[in-house]
Amino acid sequence: MASFILRRLLLAIPTLIGVLVVAFLLLYVAPGDPVQSMVGERADEETIARLRQELHLDEPLPKQFALYVGGIARGDLGTSYITRRPIARDIAERFPKTLQLAGAAMLLAIVVGVTLGVLSARNPGGPIDRFGLGLAYLGVSFPVFWVGLLLILLFAVTLHWLPPSGFGGPRYLILPAIALGMRSIAFLARMTRSAMLESLSADYTRTARAKGLAERVVVVRHALRNALIPVITVLGLDFGAYLTGSILTETIFSWPGIGRYVVTAIGKRDLPAISGSVLFLSVVFVLVNLITDLLYAKADPRVAYD
Amino acid sequence: MRTLAQRLLLCPAVIATLACGGASGTDRRTLVDSRDQYDPRSLDPALSTDVPTGRAVGYLFDGLTRFTPDARVEPALAERWEVSPDGLTYTFHLRRGVLFHDGTPFTARHVATSWQRVLDPKVKGGRGWPLYPIAGAEDFAGGKKSVIGGLTVRDDSTIVVRLKEPFAIFPKLLAMPVAAVVPENIPPDFGEKPVGTGPWRFVEWKHDDYLLFARNEQYWDGAPKSDSLRARIIAEPSTAVAEFESGNVDVLLIPEGEVMAWEEDRERRKLLQSAAGLQLTYMAINTQRGPLRDRRVRQAINHAVDIQPMIDILVSGRGIRAAGVIPPSLEGADSARRPYPFDTRAARRLLREAGYPDGIDVDLWVGSNPLYIRMAQTIQAYLAKVGIRAKIVQRESAAARAASRAGNTDLFLKDWYADYPDAENFLYPLLHSANKGAGGNVSFFENAEFDRIVSASRQEPDSLKRALLYRQADSLAFVEAPMLFLYFYSDALAVQPWVAGFQAPAIFNGQRWTKSMIERDQPE
Repeated sequence: MASFILRRLLLAIPTLIGVLVVAFLLLYVAPGDPVQSMVGERADEETIARLRQELHLDEPLPKQFALYVGGIARGDLGTSYITRRPIARDIAERFPKTLQLAGAAMLLAIVVGVTLGVLSARNPGGPIDRFGLGLAYLGVSFPVFWVGLLLILLFAVTLHWLPPSGFGGPRYLILPAIALGMRSIAFLARMTRSAMLESLSADYTRTARAKGLAERVVVVRHALRNALIPVITVLGLDFGAYLTGSILTETIFSWPGIGRYVVTAIGKRDLPAISGSVLFLSVVFVLVNLITDLLYAKADPRVAYD
Repeated sequence: MRTLAQRLLLCPAVIATLACGGASGTDRRTLVDSRDQYDPRSLDPALSTDVPTGRAVGYLFDGLTRFTPDARVEPALAERWEVSPDGLTYTFHLRRGVLFHDGTPFTARHVATSWQRVLDPKVKGGRGWPLYPIAGAEDFAGGKKSVIGGLTVRDDSTIVVRLKEPFAIFPKLLAMPVAAVVPENIPPDFGEKPVGTGPWRFVEWKHDDYLLFARNEQYWDGAPKSDSLRARIIAEPSTAVAEFESGNVDVLLIPEGEVMAWEEDRERRKLLQSAAGLQLTYMAINTQRGPLRDRRVRQAINHAVDIQPMIDILVSGRGIRAAGVIPPSLEGADSARRPYPFDTRAARRLLREAGYPDGIDVDLWVGSNPLYIRMAQTIQAYLAKVGIRAKIVQRESAAARAASRAGNTDLFLKDWYADYPDAENFLYPLLHSANKGAGGNVSFFENAEFDRIVSASRQEPDSLKRALLYRQADSLAFVEAPMLFLYFYSDALAVQPWVAGFQAPAIFNGQRWTKSMIERDQPE
């Protein structure tokens, strides 16, 4: 197991270098530069030229890349051109908030999605199954943006139950978590349902029933556990995606997370901020995938990594 | 009142026109603003190049002068000043007994060190031009001199400023955020923990979330009436509307396209406020590219587009048609000048006379603002009718701006927000040849007569004569048509009924909330 983890982590290094190269080249070919944002609407050529020189924007491409990677190699994510704040601190301030939102969305998705899936599979074609199907359609077809505004309109503006936006206690977390988790709820419900249908009709379930086990034990311990592999896949992918950029949700709900940070940095061509956060988020993504793989082994002993 | 089901069906097209927002009062004691759509760059005046930063700097710091909400300039840290007869030397007499938030007394030395810091190449502020009129400032900023020759601290309460040439409106530039006065020995994290002399003290900054300020009890102009002020950062305009409807914020900037809906609602129109607009929306015509070099072609463009319907439909009728670049509320504007009439026949005739009977091909650049994209499409359609084939080039805003600065755009649809309320702030940056490119003149307009008049107006000490020169320059620009003159826009704000003492500012840093408060007993 340990050697598996080590191998996976080593394999991540070329991935991360690739990500850095692509991010750098994309920024390089995209028009505009950070100096335009640093000087504002009215400026003078001399200032622009001086700032460009100080930021090494006129150097040849390989040298710029070396400078760009150099700091990261030393473990220093650098300082934002625009705000003059250390990138690592900016990320450290925002990522926990994104983690909180993604965690809440995932938790909601697991509780609601898996429950719905199991209940649907117990009685295919029944009222819960049809409700689940309807919800799944809505979840995958409504854009986050629209769902988010609807939730604000209904629960905040009209009913006054929850605050419309902002960051604070659990009350502030509910609406964005629902908006963000909608798609996962839908996917999980359908995934769980089909996997459960399969495992409920499998030989081992029949055996379990034949042994005289209680239905609850049959469903939860025997059928559900075997149905978990595809569910974990969806969970892992979605969680990774949520952690690395729930930009729309963060924007609609004024949630001060990492997604908005990256978007602002891109808009201002803030190279150190972009490269720092892209690198950080890639590491997060790699780690989430790794954990997902480890969970496979936990859920299904047949999956062995040694 | 609509039923909930009806409302949900109408969503999201009318998300912003939610009828009957529920709030009828508030228990808050803190004033809450919702106008910032992105995090300020910093709270350091030296880095103040965007609106959220400039607004916050205005709360925390003072300059020698400041703007009132209706865009007059008035003394702030300078109690009064004298100008020498040649217009070159300003003697500022500073207010005594003013304290920084940390208790340090403010003196004339702080003014000199603050301005030096803004101009210091090591600070990399990026905006030094408001101080460039000071003799030696530009050389200092360029690293050619180690001191600013034009700054002399005479005593603790007097600073003498020598300009490189007479510049009558110089005191107005000193009300800009970059000219604000900061303490000495600035720590590296000053942008996060600012200390000024302003009406509000810094309390807390949660990035992308809010800024919190507390009243400065010792403020020289009287402490603000409210205990605290929170500037929330809300990226999505519809969300800001929802917060306003829920009563959580006190002031809302209404998105351009939605003002009409507010005006038509009997209840909500009572909450509307606006100030005379100091924003010009225009389409720069690069006067040094191809057929656009010919004045007749540029005039043809002005005749070809019917602007009033665009104003009515795209910005809810809130724009005042522009016939020149000077907003009607400023000295020098000529209310008698009529805009170019919509006349496609005249447009075609002018094109023919210029030698383009078959029309011309041009690129029309636009940034990422959805309003301007719609507007560009409308203009494109109008131009096509007279044979001007415009290809829309839409780029991310910073990229479009960079291209226009480099002179690579034929037409560029954009706007210009005043930094300070004076016609000079439109004529000089937008059209004087000294500012071609990055300086703001992306029409690359170069006209010796215009330059001469504008330069003379900058030096003219008499405000009446100055206004005449402004008007003359504006007339000339109108005829030369280095742009498609569109409209002057004024922001529409909604202010909650329980807020007293808030007046919509004409200029972004003209409202410091010092007289504003939440009224306890508020009418049902």
